[in-house]
Amino acid sequence: MAKILIVDDAEFLRLRISKMLIGGGHEVIEADNGAKGVSIYKSAKPDVVLMDITMPEMDGLAALKEIRAADPNARVVMLTALGQESVVIEAVKNGAKDFVVKPFQPERVLAAIDKALA
Amino acid sequence: MTMNVKFLNPFVEAAHDVLSAEAGITPARGTVSLQQSALTADEVTVLISLVGQVQGVVLYGMSVEMGLLLVSRMMSQTFEAFDNLAQSGVAELGNVITGRASARLAKAGYVSTISPPTLIQGKELRISTFDFSRIVVPLRCDTGEITVHLALRENHSSEPDTSYVQINPRQVSPSAAIGVAVP
Repeated sequence: MAKILIVDDAEFLRLRISKMLIGGGHEVIEADNGAKGVSIYKSAKPDVVLMDITMPEMDGLAALKEIRAADPNARVVMLTALGQESVVIEAVKNGAKDFVVKPFQPERVLAAIDKALA
Repeated sequence: MTMNVKFLNPFVEAAHDVLSAEAGITPARGTVSLQQSALTADEVTVLISLVGQVQGVVLYGMSVEMGLLLVSRMMSQTFEAFDNLAQSGVAELGNVITGRASARLAKAGYVSTISPPTLIQGKELRISTFDFSRIVVPLRCDTGEITVHLALRENHSSEPDTSYVQINPRQVSPSAAIGVAVP
């Protein structure tokens, strides 16, 4: 079992992914924007972060950079829509371990977490 | 009046892919029409803007019942109230369809950025897209209908076009109840 932080401004998606992960035996914590995600990461030290890209206050790319600056070993998986390829490339350059494209397939999300934990 | 339909198929295909993957629904395309008058809204409307080489606004209209059915299928649990969580789900569905369509448009040479979704509640609200005529396509499912409105046009300028569609509050009927949520 791993501790997973979901950072996404869409409440529905957080709940949906949360159900999926809890069903897979993981512990879940949530943040609804990038700034809260960074703050919660520093205090809760999750094993993996699932990070949306487009969010208010602080977007996913900025949050990724802050988390990796605080913890160079942080394992972050980006949640992305099609059409955000350039941001994904930038995220991978900045240490993102993987990315998952919406709409999500549960097995793809769980596989990305397993890969990040490996 | 001519209909520029080159933007139509990316949205219809994206809607088909996303509704099928997320909700197990296979929509059938109804008769496409071109409308210039203000849109008279269904009970729920998701609005997303595009800015770039194609720009304007895309609107997805449906009944509350259809919205509840979609989120119930997406979450594999029954939603009985169209609360914040259900609204977030319907808005996200519009977001994913539009994101997927914009990726298809980018491959065809029309690169754009999409806005976060806005959800409008209120049947028969009038929403004007001004001088952007709308391609209207109903997507019919066995469980109801989603109407897609595309008020889009090419932008040949390298500079952002500040004339892209925005909702003018004066165009919204003051007698109608309106709730706006930006998930």
